[in-house]
Amino acid sequence: MKILIVDDSKAMRMIVTRTLRQAGFDNHEYLEACDGAEGLGLVASDKPDLVLSDWNMPEVNGIEFLQRLRAEGNDVRFGFVTSESTDAMRALAAESGALFLIAKPFTADTFSEALAGVLVG
Amino acid sequence: MSVTETAWVTGDQIVEITQDVWGSFLSMDLEPVPDSGEPLGRKTLTGVVHVSGDWQGTVFVETTAEHAQAGAEAMFAAEAGSLSPEEVGDALGELTNMVGGNIKGLLPAPNKLSLPSVAGGESYTLRVPGALLVERVLLQGPAGPVRISLWRS
Repeated sequence: MKILIVDDSKAMRMIVTRTLRQAGFDNHEYLEACDGAEGLGLVASDKPDLVLSDWNMPEVNGIEFLQRLRAEGNDVRFGFVTSESTDAMRALAAESGALFLIAKPFTADTFSEALAGVLVG
Repeated sequence: MSVTETAWVTGDQIVEITQDVWGSFLSMDLEPVPDSGEPLGRKTLTGVVHVSGDWQGTVFVETTAEHAQAGAEAMFAAEAGSLSPEEVGDALGELTNMVGGNIKGLLPAPNKLSLPSVAGGESYTLRVPGALLVERVLLQGPAGPVRISLWRS
């Protein structure tokens, strides 16, 4: 499977990738984008199976990224990985079509629980 | 020195948030220590995020250059001395984003978090004009000190 990781921090993209591998998801192809604008391009060109996106990013932020995908009719599986996890944001994420929201800081177990049923091994 | 207002965020909560972030991503244990307000070192880096909305203010994450370097090396799983200044700044910016984002969640909503900025150098002062100090904590870890301060605009 292809997993697209979208975050404006290179360090965080590495941590998300590393944590996914620690959680047992180590036989997938990982793609990276630095913001929602780049993410939209990679979703169109590479057709990932899952998008893991930060919320607070320049150019196109995470919620705009998701809303644009859904407006285009793209139903790619999408989850947020963000430092902001208020009830209002979780509700907006779900209403916009996100499958889950993982709060930073996170552990490998957090990813295992969130992705159970979304990814298989 | 702290303003008298509804304690939306306490020093203990800021300590817990910072310990959680450093422990989870840097595998570094931090412990709170008394803070005299003195400079942390000759060369420091400071991450900054602003909160806007029903509550307006700023979170500063200040640390020594050595601690920022060590933290970045932990985040990138990099060899000592192998990272560029941009990568060290990126790492501190993300740590600031996480600390600030978790503090933001405790503040009156609705509100928004800015993208992080990072400044560094010797003998500098960062100020938000007119802002008042709400909370400030100093923590000590294996790589040095880190100071978190929350200011209300």
